[in-house]
This record gives sequence, C-alpha cells and structure tokens, in this order.
Amino acid sequence: MSEYSRRRRSIFDIIDEYFESLEAWAERVRETIMERPSWNCRTCTMEPLRDVMVTADEVIVTVDLPYAEQNTIEVKPVGKDTIEISAKMRRKISFDDFGITHHRGEFQRFHCQTRIPVPVYMDRMEIRFKRGILEIRLPRKHEYEIPIE
Amino acid sequence: MSEDVKIIERKEIPKGAVMIFGFPDVGLVGVIAASHLILELGLEEVAYVDSRLLPPVIVLHEGLPHSPIRIFGNHQILLAVSETALREDLIYPIMHALIDWGKNKGAKMMISLSGIPVQDRQDLDELKVFAAASSPEMLKMVQDKGLEVLREGYMVGPQAVMLQYCATLGVPALTLLAQCFFNYPDPEAAAKALEHLANLTGVKVDVSKLLEKGEEIRLKARDMMKRTQQELAKMRKTQEYDIPLYIS
Repeated sequence: MSEYSRRRRSIFDIIDEYFESLEAWAERVRETIMERPSWNCRTCTMEPLRDVMVTADEVIVTVDLPYAEQNTIEVKPVGKDTIEISAKMRRKISFDDFGITHHRGEFQRFHCQTRIPVPVYMDRMEIRFKRGILEIRLPRKHEYEIPIE
Repeated sequence: MSEDVKIIERKEIPKGAVMIFGFPDVGLVGVIAASHLILELGLEEVAYVDSRLLPPVIVLHEGLPHSPIRIFGNHQILLAVSETALREDLIYPIMHALIDWGKNKGAKMMISLSGIPVQDRQDLDELKVFAAASSPEMLKMVQDKGLEVLREGYMVGPQAVMLQYCATLGVPALTLLAQCFFNYPDPEAAAKALEHLANLTGVKVDVSKLLEKGEEIRLKARDMMKRTQQELAKMRKTQEYDIPLYIS
C-alpha cells in the first residue's frame, strides 16, 4: 500500500466505510423484505419503475414515466446520495382504470426517491426526457486515487 | 407429462395448431404481445396449468379464480401465457410440461415471443427482431422470411428452455426476440414481435391499438415488471450480455 493511501485510510476511515457498507446492505435487505405497494392513496402518487447504472465516469438513472407531463418533471438532490423525482400525469388514473373495484383512489403524480450508490456531483446533473423515459446523468466524484507502483 | 405439473383441458383442443408462448421476461414483450393476441383474436381459455410447484397464487377475473398460467386458443393457435413472474426453479418443469402437452396435441410448430434488451432503447426509432431456431430447417425458414438470426450468445429464461427441449424432441420451434428495454414494459417491442409473427405464421393482428395504448399498458404493467425484474436477477438474465467462449 502506498504512503498516500496509508495516510488516507486511517482506522476511522475503515470503520466509517464498514458502517456505510453495512447501511447499504441493510437498505437492500429492507427493500427486499419490506415490500410495499407501488402506489399511495394518501398522497395520490404512484412509484415509477427505475434503474441505476454506474459507469466509470457517471451514474445514469432512468425512470419510466408514462403519461408524465414533461414540464412538470422535477429532480431534486436530497442530501449527498439521494435524488427525489416527481412528475405530474397528463390525466388522473384511478383503480377503476385497472378494473380494480376493491380499492378506491386516484393518482395524479409519480414520486420516488433513489439512492445513488457512489459519490457524484449533484450540481452537474443532466436531464433529458424521451419516449416517456427520464434519464438523469450525474458525473462521478473520484475523491482520491491510489497510485499504482 | 411431468407428474408435478398437470394441464387441465377445458375445451376441445385443435390439432395442428401453432403453439405460442408469452412468458414474463425483459420488457414483458411476450406477455404484452400475448395479451394483445387474446383481445384482438377473441381467444378463449382452452386449458390451464395446475401444479403444487406454483406459489399459492390465483388470478381473479370477474370474481372467479384462474390459474396464473393458462392456454388460450382457436382453430389456428394455442397461446400459453403466464400472468405471474416464474421462479427460476419452475421454468424447467412448467415449460417441459407445456411442450409435452402441445406435442401430444399435434402442435405443428412452437414459437416463443420475447425480447432482447438493448442499451439506450429510448433512442431507437426502429426496433429489430432477431430469431433463434431449434433446427437448421427452421433457421433457413426464418432467414428466407428476412429475419435476422441471433448467431452467437447466451439465452436465459423460458424461451431458452423451450428452444432446447423442442430441439431434443424434434419439434420445430422458434424464438422471436424484439429489441426492448431491460427493466421497463415495452409495448412497441411487443408490436414489432407480433408483426414478425404474422409474417412467419399468417396469424395477423392489428397492432395500432397496442401502440395507441402504449402508455396505459406501461402503467398497468409496472408491478408485474417489478416482480419479473426480481426473478430475472435470480436467474442471472444479464448473462445474455456476456461474450461466449466457444469450445469446439
């Protein structure tokens, strides 16, 4: 290990990283075990399908937003590692539209929060919307590099 | 037929039909295409799968219980469709039972409708459909019809089992794979697969309604897509992106 990385990775860094990875693992388990509906009648929102891809230079988040009105799409950073996405639908959707009569409720917005798994520059976010798919590109923050000896 | 999986017939089954499969996979291409075929051709349920291997799930339609895996049909086609994402360990027994049953009923050909994920799908205006076949004769048939053949690579999921088992049994079979989103329902890809199905079999349907209702379908299919994603991850669907090492 180089002098640089020895200095950088103190015992406190290692402990921090350990707890961060434990937290990420707990979140994955929570997502798997604590299943919840993809809709919320109280907030009149539906949770869209989404995907996160990490490349060498950026993180690409895509979100499927059928019926979304393009000019109502909002993407906001929430802290360092989460983004919140919301969009209004062009029309109200009710359970009746799906042939469901045992639930009552109408939905007019998409809403979700997505965790970004690596450090990124939130302020350099690029957004585009095509074919009902929202694409968010976030450049990766490479905080330090370990030199190769 | 497998002891663990029974096919219960509800109507008389036509001989010499083309048997089509629409199972949950990338982009839900097969399920969306199957659902459109049922609506447009007014297909009736002719049989269903009964198995203790399946999770304790039924599908309610008009207040009545139905198996999540059913076979619809008319004089021309038999269409096997699943309304639930299949667990990895169920794919072999379910597909083998369906193929054995179809063969016994004299199905002349089996075709699986599915998708092949493509990066930056949202930027594609024209979607390609690839084919894979169970025999050199079937391969020639699809090439003669102008379809591009999936030459090298891996295939994962129900369509992979279908193709291999049909090759073993000597049943003519094809898999049609329309370029699609990996994680999002893709009605446009389903429409493209149906256009090629018509070209190959003469089973023609108007896909304009499918395209018009694209957004509605994508919204309705969210939950099924989410469950399918979980199962695709378990069966390592991303292996389809791998570059194979062939040992000749």
